[in-house]
Amino acid sequence: MSRKAVVVGLHGLPFSKNIGMTERHSGALAILGALKDAGLTVADVDGMCRYVWQPTTEMEMARVIGVQNLRFFGAQDYGGGAGAPTMALASMAIELGLAEVVVVWRSRNRSSGGRPWVGQIMAEGQDQFERPHGLVRPADGMALHTRVWMHKYGWKREDFGNVAITQRRHAQANPMAMMRKDLTMEEYLSSRWVAEPLCLFDNCLETDGALAMVLTSEERARDLDVTPVYVRGYALGSGPQGYAMTFYYGDELGVTPASYVAPELWRNTGLKPDDIDVVQFYDAFTPQVLLSYHEYGFCDEGDAPAYIASGEAPPYNTSGGGLSEAYVHGFNLLVEGVRQVRGTSTTQVESVNHCLVTSGAVVPTGAIVFSKEPA
Amino acid sequence: MSAAPPLPPRPVPDQDTLPFWDGVAERMLIVPRCASCGQWIWQPRPVCYRCRATNPVWTQVSGNGRVASWTVLHPPVLPVWADRLPLVVLLVELDEGIRMVGQLVDDEGTLLQTDGTAEGLAMGARVALRWRKEADITLPAWTLVGD
Repeated sequence: MSRKAVVVGLHGLPFSKNIGMTERHSGALAILGALKDAGLTVADVDGMCRYVWQPTTEMEMARVIGVQNLRFFGAQDYGGGAGAPTMALASMAIELGLAEVVVVWRSRNRSSGGRPWVGQIMAEGQDQFERPHGLVRPADGMALHTRVWMHKYGWKREDFGNVAITQRRHAQANPMAMMRKDLTMEEYLSSRWVAEPLCLFDNCLETDGALAMVLTSEERARDLDVTPVYVRGYALGSGPQGYAMTFYYGDELGVTPASYVAPELWRNTGLKPDDIDVVQFYDAFTPQVLLSYHEYGFCDEGDAPAYIASGEAPPYNTSGGGLSEAYVHGFNLLVEGVRQVRGTSTTQVESVNHCLVTSGAVVPTGAIVFSKEPA
Repeated sequence: MSAAPPLPPRPVPDQDTLPFWDGVAERMLIVPRCASCGQWIWQPRPVCYRCRATNPVWTQVSGNGRVASWTVLHPPVLPVWADRLPLVVLLVELDEGIRMVGQLVDDEGTLLQTDGTAEGLAMGARVALRWRKEADITLPAWTLVGD
């Protein structure tokens, strides 16, 4: 492809339990900050992409910040699965020449705005066969998968605890992170259950957050006073028999759409797992990190605990991730992925050429690789 | 005036799922089955995902199966379950090969307040269909039976 997409701007508002403003307001501030970071202005913006779950549409956000004309806009669905696919959509627009400066953002008052499941009292579609039985919270759906994985792979709660503790350590280095207290294995194992086998510390945080990125073409970035981070490649995947969170009904219980994303991603990027220096794996729940190592081909199926312990695995979720930095539907993982390539992470990995960022598992999802150099 | 008792999320059928709920009301567990290739189709869909025939037939299943997975719910949950915790939600693999979700109940169909330990809940354990009433809502549920 002749035109290459690059990330040139990033911004996030401080994460909090109550950000004190609408998602429209915080999203606009994040976008304005990201444009400033890139050395661009609203007058340069001609594209906008969002998650379907983003309550402010592109039209509304363009109106709020005063965009003259969007030449490209669009949204990607499936909750936390939408992160990399939204970045992919923005990148495609640039690569195809449909837009020159595309803004992507996620603002979410998931803490002060309450828990969405509390009010979902009518069960339509797939929900009519799940919610009346008590599968209501995201953790409930994930818990059934988790027990399958534990049974199939011999994973123990301590394996999940190690993920929570590692990410907490990363968060302790990150002044933006919401959870920076020490976390021990004893505390992990004695914390309260939410949906067995998942305990409190297996769950991501409930956060008010707002983050934005600005993408443009490699050519346009040459005029800017920033080091561009290349979108090396991306892929999406649904897998068969797709459901949101409750991928229980197909032939392959325990396999997630990430298994279908992975081969496409390595083909599209021309890379292999060995080339990846650091990863940001979608982590609404601890077991997803272990699963991602094998579904993306870093280790044999089910071997993530031993692979991580061996020291061979690329470091993961270096900002603290959804478990300890903030949970903004995985957008903070995308931002951290760009920071690792820029060299500005608070848990910076040495000489990063390629960072993999994945989006929600057990929903149709995607992944993206950010790189220092173009392909 | 006392407040109405809390309800579970209410199933909202559409034309593709209404026969299932009509069956449930008569305490019959019925599932679409492809009239051409015999594939069981769960969750219900108007087309056979294997052979693309468009004539699935609602067919009764035994309701017998095995535990494919489960979770034990703890707070915070919806008000309807708040004072009945812990409770077990099962993923059941029916003998017909399809998987359904339902709560763990006793032999009479009453929700068990348990984490499953006392009942010997385990992966692969045999279960049989029961019916659970929740206000005016009837739901399939499963009880543990010996092998």
